[in-house]
Amino acid sequence: VFQGVRQAQWLTKTKLVEGLPPSVLSIIDDPAHQLEDYEERVKRVISHARLWDTTEAIPKREHYCPVLFEDLIHLCRLMSVKYPSLTKRMLARNYKIAATWERESILLQVRGLNGILMNSVAPIPPVASKEEILATEEHVLETFYPISPTIDLQEVNVYQELNSTGFRDGYPYSHPHTLFFLESANIRPNRFRPEQLRAKMLMFAFGNALAKAKVLYGNDPKVLEQPIVVQSVGTDGQLFQFMVFQLNTTDLVSGDGIKNLVWIDSDQNLYEKAQCISVVKKRVVMKPAGIYGFQPDTFKKFLALYLHGTV
Amino acid sequence: AAGLCRAFGALLLSAAPLRARFPVPPLFFPPSGMAGGVLAAVRRGLGGSVPRCTTNPLWKCRVKYTVRPVGMKKTGGRDHTGRIRVRGIGGGHKRRYRMIDFQRLRYEEGAPPEPFTEKVINVRYDPCRSADIALVAGGNRKRWIIATENMQPGDIIKNSSHIGRMAVSANEGDAYPLGALPVGTLICNLESHPGKGAQYIRAAGTCGVLLRKVNGTAIVQLPSKRHMQVLETCVATVGRVSNVNHNKRVIGKAGRNRWLGKRPHTGLWHRKGGWAGRKIKPLPPMKSYVNLPRVTAQE
Repeated sequence: VFQGVRQAQWLTKTKLVEGLPPSVLSIIDDPAHQLEDYEERVKRVISHARLWDTTEAIPKREHYCPVLFEDLIHLCRLMSVKYPSLTKRMLARNYKIAATWERESILLQVRGLNGILMNSVAPIPPVASKEEILATEEHVLETFYPISPTIDLQEVNVYQELNSTGFRDGYPYSHPHTLFFLESANIRPNRFRPEQLRAKMLMFAFGNALAKAKVLYGNDPKVLEQPIVVQSVGTDGQLFQFMVFQLNTTDLVSGDGIKNLVWIDSDQNLYEKAQCISVVKKRVVMKPAGIYGFQPDTFKKFLALYLHGTV
Repeated sequence: AAGLCRAFGALLLSAAPLRARFPVPPLFFPPSGMAGGVLAAVRRGLGGSVPRCTTNPLWKCRVKYTVRPVGMKKTGGRDHTGRIRVRGIGGGHKRRYRMIDFQRLRYEEGAPPEPFTEKVINVRYDPCRSADIALVAGGNRKRWIIATENMQPGDIIKNSSHIGRMAVSANEGDAYPLGALPVGTLICNLESHPGKGAQYIRAAGTCGVLLRKVNGTAIVQLPSKRHMQVLETCVATVGRVSNVNHNKRVIGKAGRNRWLGKRPHTGLWHRKGGWAGRKIKPLPPMKSYVNLPRVTAQE
């Protein structure tokens, strides 16, 4: 939390790549994967969440953030007309994730109520090629001397090293696909800043992937031949952070060897400003109420992350 | 402190909601009959208008160190009896107290007592003092310290307790024991006894000079030109305290003094006050905080 993503990278032994991976980018550019007149629909969704959905004059962030999220997921699900395998997805809320791992003789764990998870029947195929994975071997994790990387973490007495995905065995939708984090506190100090939100997304995506890996391949630390990919989207209603995390190895005790990979696309604005009440100066309307600065690319990326894995 | 709390507890029943904040484990409240009896006894004795403790103004109940700013209560110059002890204090902007660590050599729990380094993350204004404060982080903890002049975010500072045979060429902001510093360095945040925590030379722009080192002690000149003799294992930081232009600022109006919490002086002119004119006095004798064995001659 202190240094943001860089500290999370050290803790999860990950290498950072800017931008989204090429497989996701190819989905964005393919015109067959787009809804008809999606721009109009997305604008209507934003207006619904930010302007229309309340009895008071201005909806609060606690209110409009989940509404916006629900509507965006609804739009994405409309695509399942073309791709029937998209129906094999399930949203889960308020479930507990637990994952423990050792990192250079310090025991770390991720616990607790997560954001919203979307599960699917089939896992996402690995995004990076074998050469890229092997190339991470030379990458050196950065240290923050004299600050130790476990600064600002809560010290807890661990009585039970727990690793669980939060679901029992035999659940049909067993692979974590995407995690959604909504920062919806009303007061600004209660919300996470973008760097802290990205760090939180990275840690939880790692936790989910690690728990799944331990379920599939057992508890011994080793390099995975079939890397596990978990996606993550974090937002506070206006700024979106997209992240694709690939778990290549569960061998996290030493700092060398093959690292995990993460692709981060940060600070994508869906719209610049949503004016609820029109600005009126001297009886003349300066700025009528509405959405300003809409950017369709952000929704395209959202949709691409949703479709990734089945297309 | 425990005895004091018990005395207060006996005097006021209304302090019950405040007691939960005390670091002492809460005293079991005596059964109501006895408390009534105790209070009755106390009340019988107090007939006149002796000042009793009204509200306990001690907001300083926190035991654990935090970096977050802690809310503090203004006293207005009043002491624990409720009467004014210091004149001219009151009002002013609300302030939150940031807990400053004056003991530079504080080792973390589980860390070996060796010289260690820390990194400066942030230098900011502190409403409670004239100097600026710096947030430094090292190992697994963060703390606030008083910043020295020219301290920038991203600097690395060193804290050491080792006294070598040769003097160390110290960088600004580092903390060394006085025995390890060369004679003539400017220092600040001085301790009188080793391990006590800095109590001298903390105001904005001040600095002391290390004059000479005499067998196990060192002699420092304070900003008031007074000489002070301390053990050479006392730790001090090198450099001048930050916010050097503090004494050059212009207040500008009476309101600004009120924002700082200073109430106006009395306007009465005291004829024999002796405040005006140049004063020439000899230097007071050197203050020694070292218990030297008395040198007995003869014998």
